[in-house]
This record gives sequence, C-alpha cells and structure tokens, in this order.
Amino acid sequence: MSERDLAARQAELVAALTSGKPVPQGFDAPRVEAARVALLRKRAGEVSRQWPMLAASFGAGFKREFARWAAARPTRGSLRDGWDMARELRLTGAAAEELAGREVSMRYDGAAAPRPRRSPAIRSAGGAVVLQIAGRVRVIRRAR
Amino acid sequence: MAETYGVGIGWRPEIAGFVAGLPGLRFAEVVAESVHAHGELPPGLGDLIERGVTVVPHGVRLSLGGAEPVDPQRVRHLAEVAERVRAPLVSEHIAFVRAGGVEAGHLLPLPRSREAVDAVVANVRRTQAELAVPLALEPIAALFDWPDDELSEADFLTEILDRTGAGLLLDVANVYANARNRGTDPLELLDELPLDRVAYVHVAGGAEHDGLYHDTHSHATPQPVLDLVGELCRRHRPPALMLERDGDYPPAAELRAELDAIAHAAGYPEVTAA
Repeated sequence: MSERDLAARQAELVAALTSGKPVPQGFDAPRVEAARVALLRKRAGEVSRQWPMLAASFGAGFKREFARWAAARPTRGSLRDGWDMARELRLTGAAAEELAGREVSMRYDGAAAPRPRRSPAIRSAGGAVVLQIAGRVRVIRRAR
Repeated sequence: MAETYGVGIGWRPEIAGFVAGLPGLRFAEVVAESVHAHGELPPGLGDLIERGVTVVPHGVRLSLGGAEPVDPQRVRHLAEVAERVRAPLVSEHIAFVRAGGVEAGHLLPLPRSREAVDAVVANVRRTQAELAVPLALEPIAALFDWPDDELSEADFLTEILDRTGAGLLLDVANVYANARNRGTDPLELLDELPLDRVAYVHVAGGAEHDGLYHDTHSHATPQPVLDLVGELCRRHRPPALMLERDGDYPPAAELRAELDAIAHAAGYPEVTAA
C-alpha cells in the first residue's frame, strides 16, 4: 500500500462514515455501521449543546431527526451543523429566536466560517423581533 | 512526566467549579483546541495554573495518522497552547480525523501496516519539530479494524514509539473496550506494551449498545476498567492517571467517588481531600 493508496482508502472510509457511501471492501460492515451511528449520535449531542432551543423543539426526537438530516452531510462543526439545519426548518418560538439571535450576532453565508457582525442587525422571529446593537442582542416580543 | 502527580481529571468548562474544588489536585488535562493561543484562558483554567496544578494540552484534531502531512497551523497552535499553560508535555492520538478534505468528526483507526506506521512517524516528527516539550501518543478505542492488519497492536504501537521517541498516553478504557469488542485479553496487551514509556493514563466510562462496548466518556467508569488500572499499576505504576468525562455530568459526589476509586485502584492518595 503506497501513501497514495492510504490516502485514498482513508478518504473512502470517511465517505462511508459521513456521506452515505458504501463501506469499503474487506471491512466488517456491521461494525462500520455501528461506528457511523455512534458518530451521528455524538454529533447530535454536540449540536444540542450548541443549539439547545433547536434540539428542544423536537422534544425527544431530536437525535433521530438530526441523524436523518446529517446522514449524508459531513460535519462542519456543531455551530454550523445546527445553523444549517435550523435554516432549513420553519422554526417557531424559542428555537426561532435562538436562530435569529445567531443571525444578528454573526455573519454566516453558509459556506465560510461565521464571523462576528460589526454593524447592527435585525431579524423577525415568529412573533418577536431580535436585534443586535454594539454586540448586545435584544428580543422584543409583541404584547399578547 | 518525570514527576509523580497521582490522580487528575480532564478539565471541561462544565465542571470547572468541581475541578477548582479538588484540594489535592496536581494534574489536569485540557482539550488543546478549546484554548486560545493568545486570548484569554477559559474561566477557571488560569486559576488552576496559578495554583500550581500542571495542565497538559490534549490535541484531538491534528490527524497524526492521516496520509497527508499535518496542518502546520494546527501544530503551531498546539505548541503555543503548551507554552500558554506552561505544560511539561502535550498529547495527541494515533488516529486520523479527516481525509480527502472531509472531517470525520471522530478519531478513526489506522490499518496496523508498515505504511501507516511510516505516515504516523512522519507526522509525529513534523509535530515534534515545532514543540518545545515532549509529545505523548494515545492509542484509540475503535469499533472496527482494517482488513489488512500486518502488525499486532503492541508491535504497531511500539514501533511508532521507538521511531519517534514519543511517550505513551495509555487509555485503559480504550484497552478494555478494544479487547472486549475484539474478544481478546486486555492483560495480554498490557504485558506486551513498553509500560516504562507511559507518560500518563486515561480512565473513562462507557456503555454497551447492541452488543458493542462504546467508550462514551459519559457513563461511570465500570469496575473492569478500575481492575485494569490495578493490573497496570502492579506491573508499572504510571506517574499520573486521570478521569475523562465528556457529558452527562453526574452530581459532584459521584464524580468524587469515581476519582477516589481510581486513586484506590492505583494506590495514590485521594485528591478529593486536602
């Protein structure tokens, strides 16, 4: 096995674990599958710590939902994983405010790492408005 | 580590208060990637260092076992964090965490082949060239092996250590997990490893799931792992052993009892009492 082979084989293994690609030949497929599932569980735990309201919006089903969402998406870190997932959902309540809070605090184009915003920003989140001025985030909820 | 430190713990922000309240603590580990090289230290960690607790940065994302060369920026960060916390050594894993530009999100095993040994040795040497302190290498827990292993685990590890001069960070929970999942005897590995090269030891809990033992760090340390600590110390007692806990943190009394159990198994003084 040359180093080029090792590189290619490592890439194949990572693809099987993170991108839904087939398990490379010769590996114990059920064991690799167990590792894949454990990895998704670990990622779900990290995202739920970084995005507690997003996770709570799924109740007990978050790990399962996240695993489905992440099955063919290699991690880009728990901040971005949760952010990407949240943007695809129609969030309400606390989860929507959590996302809006991140959106007004950091500039994130979905491609490069999020960066802190230097200028004020405002987002609506369900029944609330979230604004950031000089790095401070405020949530203004409509009176019921 | 030449000095004897006894029982330590993996410092995490969630248990910073608990760790600060351990009167006999002399040794802790911090995840290197969680520390800024130049900015402020995480709250509580600085106090620990000022108090004289030895803090060792533990890297998790260098990918020393990757076929491609280690990222010089990541190596520089590890070296700078070591200096920042005045560490006598740093540690990393014999594993790879990314390939083909894709992050695995976890430590993955290497084939136990000569080619993989060469790849690790090259990356360890690149890393050592930038470090002002010694490096210790940790063999990982893996749920699967590569199909084309040429070397026994002990030969694979010993050759890497011999060729790099690195120390061994022995994780007894990983030894236990691998032996249990492979159906082998963990004592055989202990008998074959160069235990005089052990810089320090990890101890952690795990859980069985669908017939496989997972090294979760979020369950209590099981008795067989504590027994293995005893077996290790009977053969060659390492200068330091530490508990790794990474989530589902139990009440302080349970964590204290776990630290005391490690101390008893190793024959070191309890760190939970002054």
